[in-house]
Amino acid sequence: MNATVFLLLAALSAAPLTAAFGAARPSLARPVAILTTAIAFLAALYNAFRPGPAIDKEWAPAWGMRLHLEADGLAVLFALLATGIGLAVIIYSSGYIPLHLHHEHRPEEDQTRFFAFILMFMGAMTGLVMAQDLMLIFLFWDLTAIASYYLIGFDSQKREARVSAFMALIVTGISAVGFLIGALMLDAEFGSFQLPELIASVVPNYESDIALVLILIAALAKSAQVPLHFWLPRAMTAPTPVSAYLHSAAMVAAGVFLIGRFYPLIVLRGWMLDLLLVVGVVSMVAGGLLALTRDNMKQLLAYSTIAQYGYIVTMFGLGGKAGVLGAMFAIIAHGLAKSALFLTAGTVTEATGARELSAVGGLRHSMPLLALASGLAAASLAAIPLTMGFFKDEYFFEAATHHGRLMQVIAVVAAAMTFCYLARFWKGIFGGPILGTVSPVPNVLLAPIVVLGALSLLGGFWPEPFARVASNAGQVSLLSTDELHPAYHLSRTTENIMAALAIGSGVLLFFSRRVWFATVELASDLGEKIGPERAFRAGVLNLNNFSDRIHWIEVRDLRSRVATVLAPAALMVVITLIFTNADSSFELQKPHRDDLTLIMMIGIAAIAGVAAAIPRDHFSMALALSGVGFALSVVFALLRAPDVALVAVLVETLFGVLFFAFLALLPRNVEHADVVPSDEPQELGHHHRVRDSVLAAFGGLLAFLVAWGVLSRPAPVDSVFERYVDLTPAAHGGAIVTVILADFRGLDTMGEITVIGIAFLGIATFIRRRRLR
Amino acid sequence: MNNDMARQAARLLLLPTWMVAFAILIKGYSDSGDGFSGGVIAALGVIMQYVTFGTAVAEKLRPVRYARQIALTGLLLALATAFTPVLRGQSIMTHFPGPNEHATHIGSLELTTPFLFDIGVFLLVMGVCVGVFDLLAHATRRDRS
Repeated sequence: MNATVFLLLAALSAAPLTAAFGAARPSLARPVAILTTAIAFLAALYNAFRPGPAIDKEWAPAWGMRLHLEADGLAVLFALLATGIGLAVIIYSSGYIPLHLHHEHRPEEDQTRFFAFILMFMGAMTGLVMAQDLMLIFLFWDLTAIASYYLIGFDSQKREARVSAFMALIVTGISAVGFLIGALMLDAEFGSFQLPELIASVVPNYESDIALVLILIAALAKSAQVPLHFWLPRAMTAPTPVSAYLHSAAMVAAGVFLIGRFYPLIVLRGWMLDLLLVVGVVSMVAGGLLALTRDNMKQLLAYSTIAQYGYIVTMFGLGGKAGVLGAMFAIIAHGLAKSALFLTAGTVTEATGARELSAVGGLRHSMPLLALASGLAAASLAAIPLTMGFFKDEYFFEAATHHGRLMQVIAVVAAAMTFCYLARFWKGIFGGPILGTVSPVPNVLLAPIVVLGALSLLGGFWPEPFARVASNAGQVSLLSTDELHPAYHLSRTTENIMAALAIGSGVLLFFSRRVWFATVELASDLGEKIGPERAFRAGVLNLNNFSDRIHWIEVRDLRSRVATVLAPAALMVVITLIFTNADSSFELQKPHRDDLTLIMMIGIAAIAGVAAAIPRDHFSMALALSGVGFALSVVFALLRAPDVALVAVLVETLFGVLFFAFLALLPRNVEHADVVPSDEPQELGHHHRVRDSVLAAFGGLLAFLVAWGVLSRPAPVDSVFERYVDLTPAAHGGAIVTVILADFRGLDTMGEITVIGIAFLGIATFIRRRRLR
Repeated sequence: MNNDMARQAARLLLLPTWMVAFAILIKGYSDSGDGFSGGVIAALGVIMQYVTFGTAVAEKLRPVRYARQIALTGLLLALATAFTPVLRGQSIMTHFPGPNEHATHIGSLELTTPFLFDIGVFLLVMGVCVGVFDLLAHATRRDRS
């Protein structure tokens, strides 16, 4: 087993292992989760030094789909984030989740669910970043959405959590369908799902533009960029460790990862970079403004995430070495700092019970270590010198400088806003007079924050290793060999001046907040109320009402239900009949003498069919119906199709017995009982009878026409059937039907039997829960 | 109806039914019938016991008690047959031995992976049919009481 395979297996097996051990004994879930994550992290670290060879196996060659995964620089960066920050978050959760469940009056066993889903998140993320096959990317992409759905909705007893989870799933799920369409278009146009091959072969044209824009939309929605950002502040209803993970290393990071992955295709069109630039700048400013005034700690951080990923998207849009490699560096710096800040919010809420900045204060006295660690993280995010984040802003300023004066101004303003809201966050919690009482928290709610904060500081003194990882990742996106070498320049470089300006105006902004606070708060509240979230809610509501109306037409009574199947089917048949070449169809031939028995059997089937339509009691109707089936199976036998005849007889017998068993479940005399809902007229209206008769006659006539047309047409000459007959002996078979089922079309059979298994589960659920009526 | 006679017949017929089912499964690849038909016949044999003896007696039969396990085993066996080639780097549902290659055989039965797949179908179909009928039987009994 090489390093790549090991990383993949370690990351993917963490969730099932935790679930299995947790199911056996709930107290095992925590240690197993920590252990498996640690192993995955070590595997990712190993790959950073000695990347394993690519995995490339065909699994559906006919569709060009391969198991193609590689631990390249980009994959290593995000895998390190997913497993490393994952480890910190999971260690934190091992202390936090039991307390959380205790507050919510939930059983302690529920923590298995939590750990399994967050590790599924980690596994999906690791798989996603390594995948080189578009279908594989799509698979893992959706897996992260599913995991996030369960994690955001972990407190499923709260309505807010369910709504938020649904919103996140819909926004990221629908845009993921866009990704799928884009992937299929790329495959149709350039004949491959493999990203390396596409990068070598794509010549931008109209189709590839649409495909890439769809993929970009999926990426931007996942990264919570304006206007698809509204799900992220909602998602903070999740338990705090989930938010920390979601914002720093998983869900939202997946979006910018995708931009990095497709960057070689994106740069082919200059306007796509401009698109990124516009979206990034708008998100940066909007997120920053909203973060400036939020009182809820997690909400402030959520908007700051939108702004920070706006930074990163902007840097991708600016392009070049400073832009792209700098963006990778910013992803690392942001991941470390933001996870620490979220975890801080969790610890503070755990210690004081407060969720709002206005309800806490002065915690520097009671929690000095936490104040220091989260101060370092905040400083890093605010790009104070001697922290890792300083360099992220330096590259940001460098890239902006290449782009002109306006971009420089925007960059400085954005950095100043970042400083201001982070200062508000930190000072709101730790500064000022002491508010409320503080209960002691276990060390496990402190240690991960201290480590993350220390790393943010370490990156300020020794940025080389982080820059190496970022450079390797950026090289994959830029297809270059550029490297970052962050260092302090004690001179009047443009970047230093911009940094000084940013921090200076940030301080000014912070101390002048009395002046602007009310205005910005009003604007933000307005923005939250009439923003795109409103459109989303209205859309969901209308769609739901529309679906309810259609549903009601269908299920009003049994006749409507049959009609809703029959009417569209008849319509489609009419269209087909009109457009089909009817030469040599619809002819009558003289019946042959030998066909007499056949005609007799068909006649019996017809009589049984008419008998089944006469309403008497259910039992005789069912009997007549199976009479049709048995007569038809004789027809098959006469047509020399013993396999089909055998199956027909068996299925008819089985269904007959099942049918009668189901009849026993019906209330007595149901055919005379009142089945029409009470708010409907009791007697079926005359127009219903007319409608039903017309529909039945029309449907029957069309079925007859189709059968006649098909049967009177001469058999096609070059049918695939001939080849089946020829190949059957080579496939070790004598009976063609069986060989087709188990070999030639075995994949279909596999799908069908899986459906049988699922149907069994469905029936069992329905009957067990007594939902049959 | 003479209940005793029906019961005698049902009891006598159970084993022959199963034998026919197995025969159809085994002969399936070289003659009419396949795992699906075999599975339905085997299940019908069991259902016959329900109809004549009633739920209480019939559900003591082993295939009834383990219907779910039988179905699951069948499904997993079929899926395993389909997916094992993927692990060996071949495409899904690749069968062994390959076309025209020599296959070990017992009489007319050749030991090939499609046959294994068919056994999976057999077990699944039998398990599901018996399982559904058992569920229904329980539901009706609860209704009567």
